[in-house]
Amino acid sequence: MMEACTQLRQGDWSQLLEVIRTFLSLSLFSLGGGNTLLAEYHHLSVDQYCWLTPSQFADLYALAEAAPGPSSMIVGLLGMGAAWREGPLWALLSAYAAELAVLLPSTLLMVLASLSWNMLKDSPWRLAFERGMGPITLGILFSVGVKILQTSNHGLPAYAVSIAVCVLMLRTRLSPLWFMAVAGLLGGLGVINR
Amino acid sequence: MTNLSPPPNHRQLLIGMAQVALSSFGGGLSAWSQRIVVDQRRWMSDEQFLTGLTVARLFPGPNQINMAVYIGAYFQGLTGAMAALAGILLTPFSLLMALGLIYFQVHQIPAVDRVLAGVVAAAAGMALSMGFRILGSYWRDPIALALAAATFVALVVVQVRLIPLVLVAGPVAMAWYWPRPGSPGGVASK
Repeated sequence: MMEACTQLRQGDWSQLLEVIRTFLSLSLFSLGGGNTLLAEYHHLSVDQYCWLTPSQFADLYALAEAAPGPSSMIVGLLGMGAAWREGPLWALLSAYAAELAVLLPSTLLMVLASLSWNMLKDSPWRLAFERGMGPITLGILFSVGVKILQTSNHGLPAYAVSIAVCVLMLRTRLSPLWFMAVAGLLGGLGVINR
Repeated sequence: MTNLSPPPNHRQLLIGMAQVALSSFGGGLSAWSQRIVVDQRRWMSDEQFLTGLTVARLFPGPNQINMAVYIGAYFQGLTGAMAALAGILLTPFSLLMALGLIYFQVHQIPAVDRVLAGVVAAAAGMALSMGFRILGSYWRDPIALALAAATFVALVVVQVRLIPLVLVAGPVAMAWYWPRPGSPGGVASK
């Protein structure tokens, strides 16, 4: 399972450019708030470029969910992972570059949208986009859920915790930090393995 | 109620959005954004704010970040958007980067890895809940459910990549939902 994937050694700068290019090209596909890209992030950083192992990816996802602020900031962590072996400074540079790259196209489009909203508001394009993309987003979110579940969990106790948290997320208004804290404790006690 | 403050300048946008980011440590970014922008600073009316939220949700990008961009662009154009973006991101992103640097240093320690195995299982449950959360809005539209199911199968079983999928399924879905006179919720009401 380990070493199934080895990162291509290349110059620091071309590595950085690859990170930037990767996230620039995904930016405009972040439907429904951005979490729709998670499975794609996994594919690129684990399977294609081998920046991270599957369990590192799962860890970074959990870290981004636990930390305050939008969870889409996981992109910064992926950028960091991509350049970690070049040393912490390169890792930080790569992290900022990745985050800026994923935000730049969607931000520019958003600025255009803000300034021209009165024209767009009643356009059939807008109505069709809004209604048509909803179901696709729904399908993508379920596929992301399954992908993260597969990446994160091995063994029955882990799946039980995931399903319990999923139900609690939908049925209660408790902060997810509580679920993570309790699950972390269970993990520390050795109940949940991977 | 309607007496709004004068439009914020760049510095005020930066500080205001930083205040939103800091207040929302612990959750509820959207609620804090409305509280600060509408109630406290009186930059926008509720109506203006909700319009912004609609635009932010419609366009690609993280909703809360898009909302900050909308607020910045609304008052000061592109540079205002950049100021607002910097305001909402700087603190949480710096914190996350610090956490990331620590993570890559310590993640191989067995005790840390055990705790993380638990946290990760909880986070996976959160990921799983995202789809269920919006499922209710589509429950009575069989076409929407079929589109969602086809998308899911294409991604999970056939393993199509996201970009080609959206480029093909997007136009199909848009054509189906193109507003027609007489269709429920169409533009016929205008």
